[in-house]
Amino acid sequence: MQQEDQLMPDGRRHGAIDQSLRQALHRGLTRRRFLRKAGQASFAAGAAVSLPSLLAACGVAPAATPQPTPPGGTPPAEGGNLNFANWPFYIDQDDAGASDTLRQFTAETNVQVNYQERIESNDGFFGTVAPALAAGQDTGWDLIVVTDWMVARLVGLGYLERIDVAADVPQFQANAADAYKDPWYDPGNQHSVPWQSGFTGIGYNIALTGREITSINDLWSDEFAGRVGMFSEMRDSMNFAMLRLGINPEQATVEDAQRAVQELLTQAPLVRAYYGNEYAEALANGDVAITMAWSGDVYQLQADNEDLRFVIPDEGANLWVDNMCIPRRARNPAAAKQMMDFVYGPEIAAQIAAYVQFISPVPAAREILAASDDEEEQELADSELIFPSDETLGKTVGYPNLDEEAERVWQELFQQVVQG
Amino acid sequence: VAAIGAARERVPLARRLRSATPYLLLLPGGIWLIAFFFLPMATMFSVSLQEGSLARGFELTFNFGIYPEVIDRWSTQLVRSFQYALMATVAAIAIGYPLAYTIAFRGGRLKGILLLLVILPFFTSYLIRTISWKFILADQGFVLGTFKELGLLEPGFHVLATGAAVISGITYNLLPFAVLPIYVSLEKIDKRLIEAAGDLYASRLSTFLRVTLPLSLPGLFAATLLVFIPGFGDFINAEFLGARDTTMAGNVVQRLFLTNNDYPQAAAISFLMMGLILVGIILYTRLVGTEELTR
Repeated sequence: MQQEDQLMPDGRRHGAIDQSLRQALHRGLTRRRFLRKAGQASFAAGAAVSLPSLLAACGVAPAATPQPTPPGGTPPAEGGNLNFANWPFYIDQDDAGASDTLRQFTAETNVQVNYQERIESNDGFFGTVAPALAAGQDTGWDLIVVTDWMVARLVGLGYLERIDVAADVPQFQANAADAYKDPWYDPGNQHSVPWQSGFTGIGYNIALTGREITSINDLWSDEFAGRVGMFSEMRDSMNFAMLRLGINPEQATVEDAQRAVQELLTQAPLVRAYYGNEYAEALANGDVAITMAWSGDVYQLQADNEDLRFVIPDEGANLWVDNMCIPRRARNPAAAKQMMDFVYGPEIAAQIAAYVQFISPVPAAREILAASDDEEEQELADSELIFPSDETLGKTVGYPNLDEEAERVWQELFQQVVQG
Repeated sequence: VAAIGAARERVPLARRLRSATPYLLLLPGGIWLIAFFFLPMATMFSVSLQEGSLARGFELTFNFGIYPEVIDRWSTQLVRSFQYALMATVAAIAIGYPLAYTIAFRGGRLKGILLLLVILPFFTSYLIRTISWKFILADQGFVLGTFKELGLLEPGFHVLATGAAVISGITYNLLPFAVLPIYVSLEKIDKRLIEAAGDLYASRLSTFLRVTLPLSLPGLFAATLLVFIPGFGDFINAEFLGARDTTMAGNVVQRLFLTNNDYPQAAAISFLMMGLILVGIILYTRLVGTEELTR
């Protein structure tokens, strides 16, 4: 999608429309200016939509299209192409959709990057690549970004290429925070290194709730009947129910899952809808007063609506880590490893963090932002949501680690919550 | 003698070729149907009878028991899909028939433009059109928000996340499929029949009921099928305009397939829905058979 935007003669206009389209469809990891544009262009979006963006919207698996050589540029002597699938608005981009990080990467490595915002949810993306992986075929991607538990699942199924972090990703060894090394979901970082991480907490509109929100119990409160938003992704919602019940999700059993489902079923009559990426619009539009939310999103939505707040509830919040990994039989794993290493340079990490505003795995990025001339970037260095303190991190929990059979049982249990 | 013999042989060959022509003409369509209809159907049926998981792989065990299982588990959503599709069909005809009638009989020189306006929404993606409604009908959006500020609506009033929103969405998205076939059948009615009815002192109402309406039944028949079938399988409208208690069978299939990776159950529901539609159409055709209508 990115590349097509750039190829259009009037790339800016189409870019804006595509962005507002993505805004409407995807997890709203947006910079402020896109949110403004989304409002202006949401109707224009109806008028002119490119085929590639529609295909992307439908989640059609790509026939890995190599990026064309830019006009006037010389074809790479070596390095080849890197097909990189990521979530929307998860890398620095200018108005035309071009990314400095990717440009610098190509300049340094001679690898052409085909960067596609093709991942809208872990389960949904898994659903599109699983048939190819199960059949032992190439997925069309060299590098993908998925959440911790999905890494564990992919590792369990044998769907990921091995990496040797010491040799392949030296900058990760040197610059990543200790918390990101040797994680539970991928011991020894044998298949993955983090991209960004963040919190799932509660977002609310104080004008509609009429009071501060501090507890997960507020999501179960009658006073917000019909204006509560929950997530349709099983782990996020189940974790909240278990936090409310005082169960540690990381060690949850099937009996715990059944109790959590009962808890969610008692809440169901109050729930407006079980949202995916589009919860951010529901919060911004006032469809919900209080909703589960991702940390970076609300921070950015505040630019347009000062009544919006994000809180890490007293009971705790989910901490997730999104990771770069290489699907089995990827065509260019060497380039994927180069990219993994490249983004662990502190300057690059700061550049991405300043844009996406989730938690950077590179602590040194904080000093770089603090030393920035840009006032906005200096503020980011002090943000508890981007560089959280140990106290904040102490309130967070991870996700349950489920094998394939448990995964199926939990998903079946949870389906009655979202679909009746 | 040799020449006569050759000619004799040539004639049956040409005749044979000529008699084969209809089959040759059917060949491209036949291959298309086998490749893109029959094979996927057969695969789906086979998948529905398999058991297993992604980790273990799926094996064909002829598990026919899955059909009663999915009917039992998802009957609410299946019945809801039927109800929603039926209501959307009735609504689309109620809106589409007068529209098609007006364009066909009163359109005059504007006919072409009016028809273009009917299909104009198709120039935009289904998905985008549906999502636009989310913005338009948002609780605090410019329509409902304005009414609420004027005190004309309760603060808690909402349109989204209701069954009415989903049915309206299906109706809106499929309306052109109702208008076009009805228009075509109205358009080709011989106007002299209507004049004759008037000459025979039929009132305008009875002219409509006894001449125009019966002659437009083939269009109505096509319209109901074209709206009902996609409406029954729809999941986009329920996904974006609905909530938990408006979940349709299509949404269940989507989640079973993409989230739960439960391919057999997803395939079983899909196959079941196709079977239901097929039986429905056969019954419907028997009731208001197309052949009698077009005779």
